Amino acid sequence: MRTGKLAKSGRGSWRASSIPFLFLFPAFIGLFVFKFVPIVVSFTESMYRASFRIGGKQFVGFGNYADLFADPVFWNSMRVTLLLNAILNPLQIVLAFLLALMLNLKLKKIGLFRAIHIIPISVSAPIAVIMWSVMLNQEQGIVNSLLTWIGLEAQPFYASAGQALWVIVLIACWKGVGYLCIFLLAGLQEVPETLYESSSIDGANKWIQLTRITLPMMKRPLIFVTVTATAANFLLFAPVYLLTQGGPQGSTNTLMNESYFSAFVYADMGRASSIVVVLLAVTLCIIAVQFRFLRAEH
Amino acid sequence: MERLSRWNTSISYFVQIGLAAIVLAPLLFVFVSSFRPLEDIFRYVSPVTLNTFIPTSFTLEAYTNLFALRGFGKYFFNSFYVSAMSVLFGLSVNALAAFAFAYFAFRFKTLLFISVILTFLIPFEVIAIPLYIVVDRLHWINTYWGLIVPAVANGLVIFLYRQFFLEIPTSLIEAARIDGARWTRIFYGIVMPLCKPVTVSASLLIFIFQWESFLWPLIVARTEAYKVIQIGIASFVTEWVTVWNEMFAASILSVLIPALILLALQRYLVQGVTGSGLKE
Repeated sequence: MRTGKLAKSGRGSWRASSIPFLFLFPAFIGLFVFKFVPIVVSFTESMYRASFRIGGKQFVGFGNYADLFADPVFWNSMRVTLLLNAILNPLQIVLAFLLALMLNLKLKKIGLFRAIHIIPISVSAPIAVIMWSVMLNQEQGIVNSLLTWIGLEAQPFYASAGQALWVIVLIACWKGVGYLCIFLLAGLQEVPETLYESSSIDGANKWIQLTRITLPMMKRPLIFVTVTATAANFLLFAPVYLLTQGGPQGSTNTLMNESYFSAFVYADMGRASSIVVVLLAVTLCIIAVQFRFLRAEH
Repeated sequence: MERLSRWNTSISYFVQIGLAAIVLAPLLFVFVSSFRPLEDIFRYVSPVTLNTFIPTSFTLEAYTNLFALRGFGKYFFNSFYVSAMSVLFGLSVNALAAFAFAYFAFRFKTLLFISVILTFLIPFEVIAIPLYIVVDRLHWINTYWGLIVPAVANGLVIFLYRQFFLEIPTSLIEAARIDGARWTRIFYGIVMPLCKPVTVSASLLIFIFQWESFLWPLIVARTEAYKVIQIGIASFVTEWVTVWNEMFAASILSVLIPALILLALQRYLVQGVTGSGLKE
């Protein structure tokens, strides 16, 4: 094992020929086998269609994609996915930011409140869905009991095509905002207090402080949170699958959900894979746009 | 952090309590209901009375049934084992990789790092089906290997460790190299001990991720012996009746464990993230 020169210029540039690859090896084997290979398999699977004649599958090139783009169910899923994300992403980020601001205040027992908001991270998707579905149940749910008690009408919630998507938004926010908030809170605490103090002396009010000091300094955590939330939400699956299975009447049938149904119910792996590929492409585009937009003001 | 006037303080408390209530509401409901006998679960939901919130007959039968009748002890063990092993392997494997990224220059470094970032943007559900095919080829279906190994290499953990490593003063490393220390010695003896906050955050991340996984264990575990809690919970919905109180009891227990660990170690969470500064 030759070691290269000791001399280096700055961090990150020792040259020791085989050591870095040795260190990287286990992680990269893991990432390669269990993340990259499945993605590639997804791509290749999308080029095949199950053939009953041959009893296997046959190569159809982009045939699956052509069928997809002609399918109204696909376009409904695209609409649902885009709608869900248009609501959920900004909502989660704004709520997480506001929550971070609230949790950054100098209040007694703020530690207790911070602890409370972290708890939903410990709740798994199935459990979150169980809890909320029981509470929002149309006949036996406690939320409807309380609503009727104060004189409002009982709501169908996830039983209705109009409200089901909002229930998904609720569950995703309940579970996700606390997690995103941690990163933003960390970012907030890195902003030096002296900046606020000196700007107060100069007569700046809270709003100016927020827009001129806080937001610019929070750029990196905000980018991180935006990209994380976008990826997670475009590819959101668990609440839809567990609560509504895409219904009622396709009102919550996101692309991921449609992909799963293609794979397990219609046994059409080709279609399932092609939906995933389209979804990944859309997600990457949106993230690229976000990056461009958010970094532009550097 | 800012100071507030007396009026603002009251409003702030009001809002904080309101938010906390929304967050805790489902958990409290399930918690209270888990102490009811099965017949009572929905009996007092409407109209709203004191009994809606406080059980009329308080019983622990849901909890005892979990272990006595449903074999939940096994599920708990599996969840613990899989999560703990994932943390053990995950920390070593990912920290090593991050070390390479932080301190060495090598060919394709940027490309490899970008690919690491891309991996943690892709949630598991997207690759679940092809992953099944891969794991099946390895004959790891229905084994602990199949449950643990796919989750070990974790892009986010590599990222967090690398950021933390970059903050460590190079002079320490230089001094050690001049003294002739080998890289492995530097890794274990110098760098890692300085990384406690990240190690705690990364452990929490991996542990909770594995503990909460339901889709992968659903696909991988074929027999009772390898089922984890999240799958066990589904077993309460049978053809005849849903055993709500036991389902709630199981839910509370399976939330309690990661919640307690998370709460005990929460200050490391923000530290572990701050220390990295999320700089790119």
